[in-house]
Formats: sequence, C-alpha cells, structure tokens
Amino acid sequence: MKKMHHLQIEPGQIGEFVIIPGDPGRCHLIADHFENPQLIAQSREYVTYTGKYEGLTVSVTSTGMGCPSAAIALEELIMSGAKYLVRLGTTGALQKNIHLGEIIISTSAVRLEGTSVEYIPIEFPAVADLDIIDALVKATQEKKLKSHIGIIMSHDAFYKGSVFADPDFLKREQVWIDSNVLSVENESSALFTIGYLRKVKVGTILTVVANHLTREVITDGEKIDPIFHQMTDICLEAFKNIGKE
Amino acid sequence: MEQIQYHIRCKKGEVNKAVLLPGDIERADYIGTKFFRNSEKIIENREFHIYNGSYENKPVAVCSTGIGCMSAAVAIEELTNIGCKYFIRVGTCGSLSPEIYPGDIIIATGAVRGDGASKEYVPIEYPAVADYRTVTALKNRAKKESTNHGLGIIRTHDAFYMESPFAFGDYKKRVAIWTEAGVLAIENEASALFVIGSLRKVQVGAILVAAGNLITGKKGTKNELQKSVDKAITIAAGALVDLQEGKEKKI
Repeated sequence: MKKMHHLQIEPGQIGEFVIIPGDPGRCHLIADHFENPQLIAQSREYVTYTGKYEGLTVSVTSTGMGCPSAAIALEELIMSGAKYLVRLGTTGALQKNIHLGEIIISTSAVRLEGTSVEYIPIEFPAVADLDIIDALVKATQEKKLKSHIGIIMSHDAFYKGSVFADPDFLKREQVWIDSNVLSVENESSALFTIGYLRKVKVGTILTVVANHLTREVITDGEKIDPIFHQMTDICLEAFKNIGKE
Repeated sequence: MEQIQYHIRCKKGEVNKAVLLPGDIERADYIGTKFFRNSEKIIENREFHIYNGSYENKPVAVCSTGIGCMSAAVAIEELTNIGCKYFIRVGTCGSLSPEIYPGDIIIATGAVRGDGASKEYVPIEYPAVADYRTVTALKNRAKKESTNHGLGIIRTHDAFYMESPFAFGDYKKRVAIWTEAGVLAIENEASALFVIGSLRKVQVGAILVAAGNLITGKKGTKNELQKSVDKAITIAAGALVDLQEGKEKKI
C-alpha cells in the first residue's frame, strides 16, 4: 500500500480512534497515555503515534496550525481508516465567564476560514458529531471537571484575531461575542465540515489559554501540559464508551 | 416584558415555556386539541395559533409559525420575549436522501442556511446548529417509541417553487449539491429558528417527517404520513417534558 502523501502513514498503521492536536510537539504527551505507543511517522508538521487503550487501537496525529493543513491530515487519516476523531487543542475565550484553564466542548463552529468553503457553500453548518459531543461531555462530567458547551469560531489569521493582534481586533470580534460564540481557534470548522461530508465522526475539546476580553494569556507551554493530560484522558474515555456501543 | 407582543398578541406568563412549533395552523389546532390535556386556546392572529396545555402532567404549548423563516423568526422572537425557553419545530420536509422514505422521521443536528431571515441576524458563516440537549432528548424519546430516525444536517430555504417536487425546471439539479453532501432533507424554517435560539440562549430542536422524496419522486399516502406526524408530535412533546425535568442529561 502506498504511503499517504503528507502524513507518510499507510492504512493499517493507525486505529479507528484518533486524537488530533495542532502541535506536533504535544503528540508524545498524548501518546504517553497509550499502552505500547509506537512512533509511526514524522513528516512536516505531522507526527503520528499508534498504541492501545482498553483494547482499542488508538492513534494521535498532529494537524499543524490552520485549516489547510488540518484538512489534509483529516483526509489522509480517513483514507487510512480513521472513523472517530477528536481535535484536542487550545483556544482564546470570547466571553467574560470563561476562564483560563477551563475546558470547552464544541457543538459547532463559525466558518471564518477559507478551506471549508472549497468543499461546500458557506451556508452549510459546521457541526460536531453528536455521539462524540455526548461522549466528551459524559467523560468530562465523570472527571468532575467544568466545561462550557457551545459554538466556537475558526479563523485563519492569528494576527487579526488574537490577544496578540492589533488593538482593533475586539471590534472585529464583537459580532461573535454578541452571538454567544464561546471562543476562537483555527481548525474545527473545516474538520467538522469535512467529517460530515466523509461520514466520519469528528468532535473538538479545547482548553482556554487566553481571554480576549481580559487580555489574560498563558504563554508558558508547560503550564498547559497538565490540562492536556486531563483532556487526553477525557478523549480516551470517550473513545472507550463509543467503542462499547 | 409586560408588553403585549406585536404579532402573537400575548404577554409574559401567558404561554407555557416549552413550545412545539409546527408550520401549519391546522397542525397547531390538532396538537392543541388532540395531544394536550387541559387544553386552552390562547390566541389566533394571522398565522399564529397558540394553545397551552399539559402533556405527561407537564405544562407545554404549541404555536404555529406559518411557512418560512420570516414568520417563524417573528414567532420565536416574540415567544422568547415573553419567557419561553424550549422550542421544538415539528413539521414535514422533502427527503434529499435515497435512503430516507416518505413517512420516515428526521431529527436535525444543524441546518444549511439557505434562508434570508437568519442572514439579517448574523453573518452566514455562523452555524445554524440545533441545541444538543434538545437533539439528545428527541433521540431518547424516539428510541423509547422504537422509532427509526435519520439524524443529521437538513437544508432550510425560502423558495418552495425552486426546490420541491412541485418546482419549476430541473429542481433535482439544484439540490444535487446538498444530496452529495449528505444533507438529509429540505424544509423552510429550521435554520432561522436554530440561529435565533443560539443568539437568544433558548433551546431549539427540530423533528420532521419526510412527506416525499425529491430524488426518487416517491410520495407518502395521507394515512401513512398522518401516522408518522402523530409519532413525531409524541416524540417532540415527550422531549419537551424531559428537557423541563433535566432528564436529557442522562445520556
């Protein structure tokens, strides 16, 4: 079997259950939760490990930042046999009541990016899969962790919509703040859209590393690691419950 | 708001907070009189017929929206103004999937925003997503009723005579893009209801009966469809009961 053009993986080398973080540097942290994790491939921003969890074959593949590279990762993972995928990443909050370190589970995403529009007209809703949402919510509740559940926004230009952007960024984001969008990130809307078109189940769980209204931000990556470990546990428990059904 | 709402002619406290939203006036009358106990007609103005009643001993209501997002948006805005919190659209649709037959039931997770009303509220890239707790409540009640159902994205649009079995010209070509995308069915109100639900922080879902199939041209008999509509109403009213009791959390 030919290797996938970008991911450099082959069908059979990954499980049906895949965690997809943005950062290739975090893949090994996630793979540490697997039994017997094996590094499968490392190519560009794509790092893939496969291992076992409670009898399931599970994998982790980084997507890189943004929908163009995330869409490639998702397409090639699907071609390699992935059926259940959870994006695990970071986000900037757009609401005052959402604090640093808290968890967001996305039901759907604003399509403020260019990739998904090449797939299907903009009026198509980017919605997460209900089974994945249910499983993530349940696993988060079982860990007694607080989560915010709702609509997020995905966009392409970090320096137009983040705490590091020009001083006017909140003016541009006001429409989303007023529309009860919980937070901003860069991959979910294309992942949800393509997931629906390809008939695989995709969801997103995020931790808040900035708040656009208070301008607070976590810059020290290591401070985020403990939350990443908790979210990895949540994803794996969610996969286990889906696997049982 | 103590004020009487402009179109639905009701004020705060006059309509129970969990509301079924059929499009058809007659279906509102049918639900109010045949499905609710202690039914009371509240108002009849334009295309808005409103009844209060109880279902499984919980207070519920029904309000017809008329056809299309324009009047549906008016209904949900004014009902929200007077304190309503849970909304389930119950109606009919045209199937866009060869696998969904006339009489089949569909629960929507989201809607393509092919309507005009929701665009006045928020830019088009914002998702028309059903409230996930309401979707879960509908799913659970459908399971209880042993009813098979489709679950997924539907398309909402404005021009019936462009995309329906009664449409002019090659309507199949116009809807092909949505069929290929796995969109289950087509109807006229859900996207604006979902968007306004998210904006105003009220919970909105939709359960629909496929009246016909746009791809195969098959239509259901009146009798078959009525049975399915009755089932959809039963599931939706049950979901409103569970949502008020917080039962849908037991996923």
